[in-house]
Amino acid sequence: MRNISELGRSPLVLTLPAFSIMLVVFGVPMILLLLSSMNAPVFSFSNYEAFFSRPANIKVLIQTIEISLVSTVLCLLLGYPTAYLITSASKQLCAMLITFVMISYLTSFLARTYAWILILGDRGLINNALIELGLISAPLQLIYNRAAVYVGIVHMMLPIMVLPLISVMMGIDKSLLAAARSMGARPGAAFWRVFVPLSLPGVRSGCVLVFVLCLGFYVTPAALGGLGDAMLSTFIAAQVKASLNLGPTAASSFILLAIALVVIFLIGVDLSGSPKALSEPQRVGRGGGMSASVLPRWSFREMTVPYRRWRWLAERYKASGRDNRLKYFGMFFLIGVMFFLLFPGFVVIATSFSPGKFLEFPPSSLSLQWYASFFGNPSWYDAMMTSIEIGLVVAALSTLAGTLAAYGISRFGSGVRSALTMAVLTPITFPVIVVGIGIYLGLVKLGLIGTKTGIMLAHSIGAIGYVVVIVSATLANFDRRLEDAAKSMRANPLQTFVRVTLPLIRPGIVGGAVFAFLHSFDEVVITSLIGGLSIRTLPLKMWENMRHQLDPTIAAVASLLMLLPILWIILLYAMWWRSRELARFV
Amino acid sequence: MIHGATIAGDPRSQGDTVSKLSAPPQIEFRNVIKMYGGVAAVKELSLIVCRGEFLTILGPSGSGKTTALMLLAGFISPTKGDILVGGKSVASVPSYRRDQGIVFQSYALFPHLSVRRNLEFPLEMRGVKAAERADRVANLLARVHLDNFGDRLPSQLSGGQQQRVALARALIADPPVLLLDEPLGALDRNLREQMQSEIKTLHKEFGITTVCVTHDQEEALTLSDRIIVMRGGAIEQIDTPEGLYDRPKSLFVANFLGEANLLNGVIPLPNDATPTGMLSIIRPERIRLAVPHAPTLADAHQRQQANGVVTEVIYAGALRKYNVQVGNNVLVMREHVASDQQVFRPGDQVRLDWLRSDVRLVATETNNGVE
Repeated sequence: MRNISELGRSPLVLTLPAFSIMLVVFGVPMILLLLSSMNAPVFSFSNYEAFFSRPANIKVLIQTIEISLVSTVLCLLLGYPTAYLITSASKQLCAMLITFVMISYLTSFLARTYAWILILGDRGLINNALIELGLISAPLQLIYNRAAVYVGIVHMMLPIMVLPLISVMMGIDKSLLAAARSMGARPGAAFWRVFVPLSLPGVRSGCVLVFVLCLGFYVTPAALGGLGDAMLSTFIAAQVKASLNLGPTAASSFILLAIALVVIFLIGVDLSGSPKALSEPQRVGRGGGMSASVLPRWSFREMTVPYRRWRWLAERYKASGRDNRLKYFGMFFLIGVMFFLLFPGFVVIATSFSPGKFLEFPPSSLSLQWYASFFGNPSWYDAMMTSIEIGLVVAALSTLAGTLAAYGISRFGSGVRSALTMAVLTPITFPVIVVGIGIYLGLVKLGLIGTKTGIMLAHSIGAIGYVVVIVSATLANFDRRLEDAAKSMRANPLQTFVRVTLPLIRPGIVGGAVFAFLHSFDEVVITSLIGGLSIRTLPLKMWENMRHQLDPTIAAVASLLMLLPILWIILLYAMWWRSRELARFV
Repeated sequence: MIHGATIAGDPRSQGDTVSKLSAPPQIEFRNVIKMYGGVAAVKELSLIVCRGEFLTILGPSGSGKTTALMLLAGFISPTKGDILVGGKSVASVPSYRRDQGIVFQSYALFPHLSVRRNLEFPLEMRGVKAAERADRVANLLARVHLDNFGDRLPSQLSGGQQQRVALARALIADPPVLLLDEPLGALDRNLREQMQSEIKTLHKEFGITTVCVTHDQEEALTLSDRIIVMRGGAIEQIDTPEGLYDRPKSLFVANFLGEANLLNGVIPLPNDATPTGMLSIIRPERIRLAVPHAPTLADAHQRQQANGVVTEVIYAGALRKYNVQVGNNVLVMREHVASDQQVFRPGDQVRLDWLRSDVRLVATETNNGVE
C-alpha cells in the first residue's frame, strides 16, 4: 500500500496524461512504422534498397539536403548581422524590432507563402511594376523556380535563425568587449575574438533549427518551386497518397529522419532546454515547417531578465566611436531585412481590399467584396468554424496535459528532466512530414482517420510540446521556495498549487494555450494526411485554393489570419508588463 | 550525551539564559542522521532547545546547519533518529501540518499578493475568520512599523521592509516555533544591525522559541541565547555566546568566531608548557603592546610577555591592528584607538604582554562532537 501511495506522490503521475496521448497516437506508431519499413516480421532492407536504387530518389534526396544547406547558410548570413544590430540598438528600438521579427514569425506560413505568390507571380507585384515602367514587355519567370524557393524559405526561416541568436547575444556581457579593448584589442579583433565565440551557441541552435525544419519543409517549396525543385517531404506526401503499401513510405520517412537526427546529434543542440542552458533555446517546430524555439524562452525569460546591468557599459562602448558609415550601413541593412520580413504581409492585406477579380497591387480602389465572399461562402465559413472548434479543443487538452507534464518534469533531477523534455518535444523536433506519417499510421490503427477527434489528437501531439516548453520556461523562473513558504504556513499541496504556483505561472499557461491554438489553427501538412476528404479545416481549404485558383478571397482569409499574431503579441505584452512588477522582485 | 542538557557558561553573563534553559524543552533532536547518497549531511545530531530560547546554528557552508533547519522545518525527513516538537514526534509529519513560522533566506514573499494578503495567508490556511484576520494583520503591521504598507506588493518595498514583512508573516499565526534561515543575509551592513535589534525585540515580545541558521558570527553573537557551532555534520561546540567566544573548545571554533593567536613556540616557559594534543591560544584584543623597556606593572607576576617587531599596522577606524613578529610566529593584536595611546610603526621593537588567565587551551582537532 505504501508503495502505491508513494507512487501517487511521484511527479511521474503528472506526466502520465501527456505521455499516454503521445505514446498511443505517435510513439507506438513510429515504432510500427520503423518495423514496416524493414518489412517486419521478415526483416529486410529491401525498402531502403529500393529507395536508393532509383536515381530519381537520390536526386530528390540530394536536392533536399542542398536546398536545406543553402537556405541555412543564407539565413545565417542575413540573420547574424540582423541579430547583432537588433541587440545593440537602444532599448525601445530593440523591443520594437524584436516585436517585428515575432510578428513575422507568428504569421501563418500559408499566408506568407501566398504573399510570395502575389509578389513573384506572372501577374504579381514585381512583374506588374516592371511592365508598367516599361522595362519589360512580357512577365519574367520569377516563380516556380529554385530562386523563388530560396526567397520563400529564407523568409519563413529568418525569424527562426534570428530569435535564438538574439537570445544568446542579449546574454553576452558587453563589458567583455570593453574589457578586450582595454587590453589593446582593436574593435574588430575584440568582436572576432570575444563576441563571435560567445555567440556560437546561438549560431549552432539557429542553424540546426533551420536546417532540420528545411528538411521537412513542405508547403513553401511545393507552392513556389517548379517541378525540378521537389523536396523529399513532397515526395513522401505523394507516396502515402498513391499507395496503400506503407513500407516504401516508411523507409523514405526514416531516411529523412536519419539525416535530421545526424545533424542534431553532430551539432548537438540542447533539446531539453534545461534551465541552466539559458543560452541554448530549445527547438520547437510549428506546423508545416514554421517553427520556433525561442519564443517562449525569449519572451518569458530573456525579456524579463533585467539587462540594465550591462546596458550602460554597452552604451559607453557604442559611444566610443563607431564608424559613422558602418552605422548607416547597419541601419539600411536592418531596414532592408525588416522590409523583407514584413512587406509581404502588407501586400496580402492590400490585395484583400482589391476591387477586381484579378490580383492587383496596389489596388485601384478599395472594396470589401472578398471579405464578403469569405463570410458569405458556406464552405469557407464552415472551414473556419471547424478550425476554431478543433483549435479550442486542442488548446484545452494540450494546456491541461502539457502544464501537468511540465510541472511533473520540473520536479525531476536534471538528467531525467532532460530526457523527458526531449521525449515530449520529439513531435516538434522531427521533420513534420515524418511525424505526419507516424500519426497517420496511429490514427489508422485507432480508426480515427477522417474524424475531428483524430485531427484534434494529432494537433495535440505537437501542441503539448509547445505548452511544455513555455510552461517549463516560466517554471524555471519560479522560485520553488515560495512553495516551501506556503507549506510552512499550513497550506497543503493542493492549496499551495492553487494559491501560489498557479497564479505565478499563469502567464506561461496562457501563452502555452495561445500557442497551442495557433499551432492547430495553422497546421496543414499533418491535417492533409489524416483529414480524409470529409474534414475541411481553414488551412486545408486555403492550401487547396492556393494551388488551384488564386481568387483574392484567400487574401481576405490571410489578412484575417495575420490579425492573430498581432492579438497574441498584444496579449503577451500585456502579461509581460503585468509580470514585470513581479519579476523585478525576484 | 545530549549537548543541550549541559550548560557550560560564565555565571556572570548568563542571567536571562539560565531561566530560559530551565524551561521545558520545546524542540528535541534525538540522534538524527540525514544521509544524501552515501554521505551523511547530519551525523547523530542530538540537541534540546528550551521554550523561549533563541538558538543559533552557526557553521561554514557544508557543515550541515541548513540540513538541520530543513529537517526541523519538515522539508526533508531524517534518515534515522527522531525530532520532537512540544514533546511530540514530528519526523514523519509533512511541513504543512506543522505549526511553525519560517523566515526564508530570500524572504519568499508571494510576489503576486499584497503585504496584507501575504500576512493573511497563514491565517487563512488555519481557517481564521476574515474579521479576526484583519485585526491580527493590522496589529502585526503596527508592530513591525509598516502600518501604511498593507496594500503594497512586495516588489514595492525596500529590503529591510521585505524582511519585516517576512518576520510578521512568520509570527502572525502565533506558532510555538520560529525558524530563521540566514535572515539578514540579503541586507547591507547598516540595515543588518538595525534588523538585529528588531529581531531581538520581537523575540522578547513574543517569547517564541527560535532557531536561526547563519554563517555570520556577529549575527549569532548578538541574537542568541546559545550558539551551536557545526562542522562536518556534527556539533563542534554548544554554549552561550560569551562561553563560546571566551572558552572555545577547539582551534576551529576559536578561528570561526573571531581570531586566535597560537602561543605554542612563543613562550617556552616551563610552567606554561602546553599539554600534548592541545594548543595555547589568546584573542588579539587580550594582548597589550608596550615599548620594550616600559616599567613592569604591579600585576607582572600574573602576566606573560614576549618581545617582537611590528611588521604591519592597519588602521580600521575604531581599531588599530598590529601584526607582530615574535620568533617564527606572527601575532595579531588589536587596540582600540585612543588619543593618549602610543602608536607603533612597522619595524618598531615592542613588548607584548597578556594575563596568564586569558590564555586558553584548545584541542588541535576534535573528534567531531562525539565526546
